[in-house]
Amino acid sequence: MSVTFDPKNSRVKKAHQKRSLNSPAILALYSIMFICFLAGGISLLVMKIALGWLFIGLSAWPIMILFWIKNTLNEIPVKNTENFTDLLSEDLLLLLKAQMSSTDLIKILPKTPSGVFLMARFQLNIDLMDELTPSLPSETGPIYEKALAIREKTNSEEITGAILVVAIIENLPNFEQVLSGLKLDIQDLYQGINWYNYLHGIVKDAKKPVRSGGIARDLAFGFTPTLQQFAVNLSERYTGSRYKIQQAENFEIINQIIEAFSHQGRQNVALVGSYGSGRSTIVNSFAETLMNADSDIPNNLKFRQIYALDAPSLISAAKDQGELEYLMIKIFNEIYSAKNIILCLDNAHLFFEEGPGSIDIANLLVPILEAGKIRIILIMDDQKFLEISNKNPMLANALNKIIVKPSNREDTIKILMDQVPYFEHQKNVIYTYKSLLEAYNLSKQYIHDMEMPGKAKLLLEAAASYAENGLVTETSVQNTVEKTYGVKVKVASESEDREKLLNLEALIHERMIDQKEAVATIANALRRAGAGVKNQNRPIGVFLFLGPTGVGKTELAKTLSEVYFNGEDHIIRLDMNEFVSSSDVNRLIQSGEEEALSLTASVSKQPFSVILLDEIEKAHPSVLTTLLQVLDEGVLRDEKNREISFRDSIIIATSNAGANEIREKISAGVKIEEVKEELIEQLIASGEFKPEFLNRFDEICLFKPLSKDDLSSILDLMIASTNKTLEPQKISVHLSPEAKQTLIDKGYDPKMGARPMRRIVQKTVENAVATAILSGAVGSGSTLEITPENLEV
Amino acid sequence: MAVAEIFLWWYAAGWRTFIQKNRNAISSITDFFSMSSLIRTLFKPYRQISAETANANSSLDLKFHMFLDRLISRFVGFCSRLILLLAGSVIILIGGVFSLILIILWPFIPLLPIVGIILTVMGVTF
Repeated sequence: MSVTFDPKNSRVKKAHQKRSLNSPAILALYSIMFICFLAGGISLLVMKIALGWLFIGLSAWPIMILFWIKNTLNEIPVKNTENFTDLLSEDLLLLLKAQMSSTDLIKILPKTPSGVFLMARFQLNIDLMDELTPSLPSETGPIYEKALAIREKTNSEEITGAILVVAIIENLPNFEQVLSGLKLDIQDLYQGINWYNYLHGIVKDAKKPVRSGGIARDLAFGFTPTLQQFAVNLSERYTGSRYKIQQAENFEIINQIIEAFSHQGRQNVALVGSYGSGRSTIVNSFAETLMNADSDIPNNLKFRQIYALDAPSLISAAKDQGELEYLMIKIFNEIYSAKNIILCLDNAHLFFEEGPGSIDIANLLVPILEAGKIRIILIMDDQKFLEISNKNPMLANALNKIIVKPSNREDTIKILMDQVPYFEHQKNVIYTYKSLLEAYNLSKQYIHDMEMPGKAKLLLEAAASYAENGLVTETSVQNTVEKTYGVKVKVASESEDREKLLNLEALIHERMIDQKEAVATIANALRRAGAGVKNQNRPIGVFLFLGPTGVGKTELAKTLSEVYFNGEDHIIRLDMNEFVSSSDVNRLIQSGEEEALSLTASVSKQPFSVILLDEIEKAHPSVLTTLLQVLDEGVLRDEKNREISFRDSIIIATSNAGANEIREKISAGVKIEEVKEELIEQLIASGEFKPEFLNRFDEICLFKPLSKDDLSSILDLMIASTNKTLEPQKISVHLSPEAKQTLIDKGYDPKMGARPMRRIVQKTVENAVATAILSGAVGSGSTLEITPENLEV
Repeated sequence: MAVAEIFLWWYAAGWRTFIQKNRNAISSITDFFSMSSLIRTLFKPYRQISAETANANSSLDLKFHMFLDRLISRFVGFCSRLILLLAGSVIILIGGVFSLILIILWPFIPLLPIVGIILTVMGVTF
C-alpha cells in the first residue's frame, strides 16, 4: 500500500492548534483575562460585593488554558509507530496536504528550516530542484516511502524537510549521475541529514538547565592567589552554561583521564600528540564534563577546576631559577591546600628544558608527580616527549602517557560540523558541506606544521574572509589557501582543462618546433592523467627527456608549464650538476624556514608546477635514490619529517646521455622508436641509469636533432619573440629571405641544436635593431627590413 | 471538544507534569544552595585555611596552637555552611509546602468557577 499523508492524524490537529494558540498574542490574551478576572474579583470583594467570588473562580479557566497550551502544545513528539504522519516533524505537519504532487512538495521544502539547511549546505538551489521535477514520479507516495527508509538509515528521530529533499533526489532515476555532477554522493547527503539532526539536538539541549554546583560549591575549597596570578581558569566559562559542544571523538580519552584521576597513585596525565591534534580541546571538554553536576563521573572529581599555567608570565616574573622554584612551590602548595584544582601545563616541555622562555624544573616536578598529591595534566608533542624521555627517564616514567592521535577524515569532518556553527555565528556566514571537505583535503595537502583536525579548522575559519555572498564554498577555501599560504591550488575550470587537454599538441606546437613524437607522447600521458585513468597517488606525469643539447627539451618543459599551468613561472628548475655529492640530498629536502629554494620548500609553495631536473645524469646516486620516492609515490618528506606532495606536479628529467647515438642513428634513417629501445638498453648496460630509476618514468621521450627546416621555423619564432619585445616601441623587424638563409647557414650546428642560432640572432639581428633605433634610422610605427647587408655575421 | 481535552489532560498528564515541574524546581533550589556539598563538607576548615599538621618533633605548645587553629577554621567553616544550609532548607521547605498545597489543590482548580458561583449565590463577603 502506498504511503500517504493523513491530514486527520491527531498530530496534524495538534500542530494546527499550536499554530493558532501558542502565539504570543493568544498567550498574552489569556494572561490578561486571568489578571482581569482575579483583580476584578478581589476588587469586588473589597467593595463587599459577593459577585467577586465568581470572577475569582472564572480566573481559573484562563490559567488552565495557559498551562495546557504551554505543556501540551510546546512540543509535538513523534509517535513510536511506522506511520508516516506520526513521524513527521512539526513544520511538515502544517505544510503537507493530502493531495500533493512532487512539484508541490518541492515548493514547500524551502519553507522548512531543515530543508533550507540541506539545500544551502549542498547548494541544491530551487532552480536545480525544479529542473529535476520532470524526472520525478508525479505521486508523492514513493517519495514518502523513501523518506521512511532514509529516516531509519540515518537514525533520525523524525522525518524532516532535509529527509524529504534527499528522498526526492533518491527518487530520480539517474540520481547518482545528478549527484556526481555536483561532486557529491548519496552518503554525503545522509551526512547532511545527520549534521542537521546533530545541530538541532544541540539547540534543544541548550534550553535545558545545567546544574553546576550552586553558590556554596567552592566554599570548602581553598584560596589560590598566586595561582590566579599566573594561570587561567579553564572551567570558569563552563559554569552554568552549555558553552562548548562535547565532542564525541574525545570521550574515550576523557574517560582515560577520569580513570587516571579517580584512583590512588600517580595523579597526572601527559597528553602527547602533535600540535593541532586536539589536545587543548580535550582538556576543555574535560573541564566542561567536571563542571556539569549531571556528568557521570566520580564525586571526588565533580566541580574540580582546571587551571592552565601560563609559563611565559611565570618565567618572566621570576628573576632567577631560585625565585621561579619558589613561585612554583608556592603554587603547588596552594593547589595542594585548595583541594579542587587540576593544574594544566600546556607546552609542558617548557618546564623541562633550559632556553629562552623555558626553564628546567624537572627536579622539582618529579617528586610531586610521583607523590600524586596534586592532579596535573601535561600537554606536549611526541617529539618533545621523546627528548624528555631520553634526557630524564625518571620523569617520563612518572607520567601517565595518553597518546592523542590526529583525527581521521571521518572524525575531522564531524569535528568541523561541530565547529561550523561557532564560525557562522562569529563571522556571519554559511558554510557549504563541500567547503568542509575541501578544508580537510587542502589542509591535509598544504598545511604541514599542524595536525588534523586543527589545520582543517584553521583553514575553514580563515575561509570566512573569502566568502561569496555570505556563502563559504570550496572556492572560498581554495582562495584562502592561495592567498594565505601562497600555494596555487586552482589551475583552471574543468571545461578549460578538458579543452586544453584535447588540444595539447596544437597548443605546445605554437611554441615548439617539431619533436612531434615527444610532444604526442607527453600529450597522451597528460590526457590519461587528466581523465583519471592513471594512478592518482602519483605526480600528474613523470617524464625523461633524452636527446642532444639545444633540441628543445627545456623548451618543452617551459611550454608545458605555460600551457598546462597557465604560466611559465610555474616551473621549478633544478640543475642537477649542482647535486653531485651525497651531502646535496639535504639541499633537496631542507625546510622552507631554512632554505626557501629547496625542492620541498618550492613545491610546498607552488605544487602545481613543472619540476625540471636538468641534466639528471650528473646527480649523485644518493640524490637519485631520494628522488625515486617522488617519482613513484609523489611524496617527499622534508628534514622536519613533513610530507610534501608532488601529486599536482609534472616532473621532467632531462639528460644528454646517448646524444651521439641518437644523432648518428637518426641521421642513418633509423626510426626514433627503434632508437629508443636500443638506447635505453645501452644506458642501463653502461650504468648511466639504473633500471629501477628508468622504470619510474611514465614515458621516456627521445628528442631528435634539428634539421635546417626546423631551424628555419625556430628562427621565425625567435624573430616573433624579438618583435614582441619591441612592441611597446611600435617597431617591428622583418627578415628578408636572403637574410634568413644567411642566418640558417651560420646558425646550423647539428651537435648544438638551436643554441648557436639564438646567439647568432642576438649578435646580428638584435645588434642591427639597436643600432637602427639609436641612430634614428627606424622610428615608432616603422618596420626594419633586415637584409644580409645589415647583418654583421 | 477542546474543553473536554483540556479537562482530560488536567486530571491525567497535566497533574503528572505539574508534579514533575515542582520536583524540578525543588531540585534546582537544592542545587542553587549546594545542599549536598554543604552537608558533605560541613566540618571542613573554612576555605581550607588551616595550619599545617604538627610533626612528631613539634613542641606540645605548638601542637596545641595548631590544633586550636584548625579547630577555629573548622568552626568558622561549620558556621558559614550552617547558615547557608539553614537558609537553603527554609527556602526548600517553603517551596516544598507551597508546591504540595498546589499539587493538592490542582484537581480543584477547574471547579473554582462553580465554587465562585456558590459563594456568590450565598452572598459571602469579607
